Amino acid sequence: MAGLSFDNYRRNKSLEASGVLPPKTTSTGTTIVGCKFNGGVILSADTRATAGMVVADKNCLKLHRLAPNIWCAGAGTASDNDKVTELESSQLEIHSQWTGRAPRVVTALTHLKQHLFKYQGHVGAYLIIAGVDVTGSHLFSLHAHGSTDVGPYLALGSGSMAALSVLESKWKEDLTKEEAMELCSEAIMAGVFNDLASGSNVDLCVIEKGKPSRLHRGYKQPNQRLQKQRNYNFDIGTTSYFEAGSEVFYISKQSDLETSAMEVDQVS
Amino acid sequence: MSNPSEINGGSAVAMIGKDCVAIACDLRLGLQSVTVSGDFEKIFQYGGNFVAFTGLATDVQTVSTELRQKHALYEMVEERSMEPNTAAHLVSSMLYSRRFAPWFVGPLVAGINSTTGEPYVCSFDSIGSMDVSHDFVVTGTATNQLYGMAESLYEKDMSPEQLFETISQTLLCAADRDAITGSGGLVYVIEKNGKVTKKLLKSRQD
Amino acid sequence: MDILLGIRTQNEVLLITSRSLARGISVLKSDDVKVLECNKHTALAFSGEPGDTTNFVEFIRANVRLYGFQNKQELTTHAVASYARKELATSLRSRKPYQVNILVAGHNGTPELHWIDYLGTNVTLPYAAHGYASYYVLSTLDRWWTETLTLEEGLELARKCIDELEKRMPIDFKGCNIHVVDQNGVRLHE
Repeated sequence: MAGLSFDNYRRNKSLEASGVLPPKTTSTGTTIVGCKFNGGVILSADTRATAGMVVADKNCLKLHRLAPNIWCAGAGTASDNDKVTELESSQLEIHSQWTGRAPRVVTALTHLKQHLFKYQGHVGAYLIIAGVDVTGSHLFSLHAHGSTDVGPYLALGSGSMAALSVLESKWKEDLTKEEAMELCSEAIMAGVFNDLASGSNVDLCVIEKGKPSRLHRGYKQPNQRLQKQRNYNFDIGTTSYFEAGSEVFYISKQSDLETSAMEVDQVS
Repeated sequence: MSNPSEINGGSAVAMIGKDCVAIACDLRLGLQSVTVSGDFEKIFQYGGNFVAFTGLATDVQTVSTELRQKHALYEMVEERSMEPNTAAHLVSSMLYSRRFAPWFVGPLVAGINSTTGEPYVCSFDSIGSMDVSHDFVVTGTATNQLYGMAESLYEKDMSPEQLFETISQTLLCAADRDAITGSGGLVYVIEKNGKVTKKLLKSRQD
Repeated sequence: MDILLGIRTQNEVLLITSRSLARGISVLKSDDVKVLECNKHTALAFSGEPGDTTNFVEFIRANVRLYGFQNKQELTTHAVASYARKELATSLRSRKPYQVNILVAGHNGTPELHWIDYLGTNVTLPYAAHGYASYYVLSTLDRWWTETLTLEEGLELARKCIDELEKRMPIDFKGCNIHVVDQNGVRLHE
């Protein structure tokens, strides 16, 4: 990362000292799981983003593509997950172009953990990384402080306990792809229904050896909003407005840079 | 003065209609309980992109001006206009570049993609997390009220005229339940053909 | 507790500032002037942390004058306000921010009044007030201000505000200076 600017740090620190609260950031308040099967690995996530107790996004995508064969699911601070995975996917692409090889899962893992460790947990990304490469299929988890885990099935996020209860009771060795998909979505559903910070739909991604990865966006949609029986459409003309102070204009296709003359040009 | 995002007050909302988008904001600028100005516009135009900034007013002014620089530079270097999704990513990276010392702003981007004709709205938190929506986005001190209004009033595929009524009533009714949002409303409706209708709403002044 | 008021009339801007300079529990001066002529047609009224205030406005004035000398083109009131805002907004992110609130009054063909607080919030207003005085006078200004005030009417409105302040403010602010900024420049009224 080119380096984050700390220009406002002192200001915000002194504001904090005078009793100012830091702003609420969007949290993925999440359930994410990963599970291996005989022939590949699966990642799955819920789709709720929260800001405090408010649902900020009902259908956000928490599965990120790091490389065609490597994906990750993120819990924690939403922007940290977006930016850190965006950055990593760029670096993996450059790395693989440079080496002329398809990227490996451990490369992504090591890269990310070094980045997160550097920021001592302040970059709040909690990731499950999965993928297939020349050495086989892999499933890792990575915490914001930089620690990593390996396992045949993993869960992270505020709904991880609910998800893990499903995984612990139903996981077995040598799962087929279909069984693993079912297990993962069931684990996410446990989070969706039992953890308040998780909700909406189940996204699922299947990464298989020798096949293109497949993202199932909205794999399960158990919380569709019921069709409204009536609507609240207003009659045209309901809202009153000032004729003066209102205007109609057109955006030119080709942006017109001449429109904003400098102020000195107007002064004689 | 406990929360910088609530010193000056103010809210904004953006909605998608059929081949159109709308973006609206209130006009109040306050210092805690004192209303300083009733014509503080929070929506800024960058070519075909309309960006609303709510939050700490000084940061609203700083970030909106910085975005104006970056937008002008982009159009000069690229020799083409900036698409809404590009503007949104630009806003996102501007905010994330200050990850550990953020600007206290909550932006919204609204526009129509000039090549695909797709309407686009997107909201952000103060550190640049993007929420690209296919219905509506809200921000500001009346966030909760706006969510409630928009969630109930919003319909898919509204005409520009219908969209104006819905977004206006959403804003006006939400502002009624937030003491530091109000003092007038401003609505832009942007249509696929490039037509922009700007309307200044009549609203209660308390 | 300093009083800082600005009223834009049809052809001029009035700046009303209190004359007392207090330190702790003592009044040190009762003929203090809190207005600075920035350039020919722009005045700055200021209040806030003693020390910060004079240091800041003199810094702004020096740079505005320098710009005028170097470019043979004086900064407009709008430009002065934008410049002062930028300095305050930048200062806010430093170790010790300037705690200065200002009003920028000027006349470039038309009268213009800017309200800028220590955070760097810059707004153009028809009438403005900083500090506690705003609690007392904004309602009076809301009631009586119109777009077409003459100088005399403007002064009468200023009088209304000062009367209200004298009646309601818990401390003696030793009266007010009224500066007028019009096409001829900045002058102290009376």
